[in-house]
Amino acid sequence: MLSYRPGSTFAHRLDPRSKLLVQFGLAIAAVSHPTLPWLVGTTAFALCTLAAAQLSPLAVLRSYRVVLLVLALAPFIAGVALGPPWFRVDPALRSALHVGRILPVLLVSAAYLTSTPVRDTRAAVQRLIPGKPGQILGIGMALVVRLFPLVLADVREVRDAIHARGGEARPLRDRARLLAVRSLERTLDRSDRLSVALRARCFAWNPTLPPLSFDRRDYPVLAIGIALAVSPLAPV
Amino acid sequence: MATEQSVDLVDDETVGLFTKAVLLAALTAALAQISIPLPGALPPFSLQPFGMFFAGLLLGPLWGGVALLLYVLVGIAGAPVFSNANAGLGYVIAGQGTGGFLVGFLVGAVVAGAIAHRSIAPKPVADLSVPVQVVALTAAVAVVYAIGVPWLAVVTGLPFARAAAVMAPYIPLDLLKLGIAVGVVQGGYLAGR
Repeated sequence: MLSYRPGSTFAHRLDPRSKLLVQFGLAIAAVSHPTLPWLVGTTAFALCTLAAAQLSPLAVLRSYRVVLLVLALAPFIAGVALGPPWFRVDPALRSALHVGRILPVLLVSAAYLTSTPVRDTRAAVQRLIPGKPGQILGIGMALVVRLFPLVLADVREVRDAIHARGGEARPLRDRARLLAVRSLERTLDRSDRLSVALRARCFAWNPTLPPLSFDRRDYPVLAIGIALAVSPLAPV
Repeated sequence: MATEQSVDLVDDETVGLFTKAVLLAALTAALAQISIPLPGALPPFSLQPFGMFFAGLLLGPLWGGVALLLYVLVGIAGAPVFSNANAGLGYVIAGQGTGGFLVGFLVGAVVAGAIAHRSIAPKPVADLSVPVQVVALTAAVAVVYAIGVPWLAVVTGLPFARAAAVMAPYIPLDLLKLGIAVGVVQGGYLAGR
């Protein structure tokens, strides 16, 4: 699983807003042109971002193996024909080129995930979206990250309790209904308690924002992000 | 000279809707990690769409949308909340070709909430009639497929008809989930929510 690893690489020292822009820019650039030179260029750029985060490309590919295996089926599905010649190469190659465009997006995403703490992304979202919506999303993200393990533990506990009572023998509809009802009840109880806690702590629209600042090294990265985002406008 | 800034408190109703949105985002993330295996070659029965259904029915279009937006943003930020503990913008775009379904859940929650409540402010779920719930959730499922299938075709380069054929086996299961969600509401399990 790809997750944040503390470090002091070039990627770690960048502002999360610069990295987000590069990530979005590369996603736009990668999917805009399904051509081989474009694929090679975006993949080379993605490998550079891995180097900036000191990540092994092989380790990243291993982390995405399930995603890549499923995507690799697409060219096969595209090529299969329901009559002679039973398999057509052209659509399969076209599909392979489309699937290949996803690889650089996944690589850059891996560099971002391993070099950026979740709280930095939360702070970036809170600063990028002005006003109350930004506050709600920023604080909401922080709370979801903190509460997700608790809710997951609740759902697993409910599932285990159903199993302990021989629930596997019940019809699918009953199992799914029981799991949904019990998990939802616990979740809404937690929501009521969180609501009381927030009100008790004077939950306000104008809390102190977490500090973020652009450094000199961020400006070229921002420029690269913008260039990538507008690159589909360039003639190929 | 120190400047004074007054505290702008969030009103109680907004706090209540906000905390429900936060917890439903966390529940959607938890349900994405849980699936019920089915016999044979059938796809596993994923519980993830329940997050979208309940967000739309309980919170309406605005806060239901916020719940699913929080779920997607937290995943982009790096928390392992997508299925099989995946995360990242790359996963939202690609998934297993299924990234469009994540975006579809977000739009689906907004659509379900808009049809069920017909206003930004949500009504109590007990006030929603069964036909309205069924129409709202069916529209949400339709929106999920309307976004997810073309997205799958674009990501994988499959012709649209073939992408639709790949996803077709999931439709009956989603309709079963829809029936269960309506059954949960009608069973009175959400009374007073």
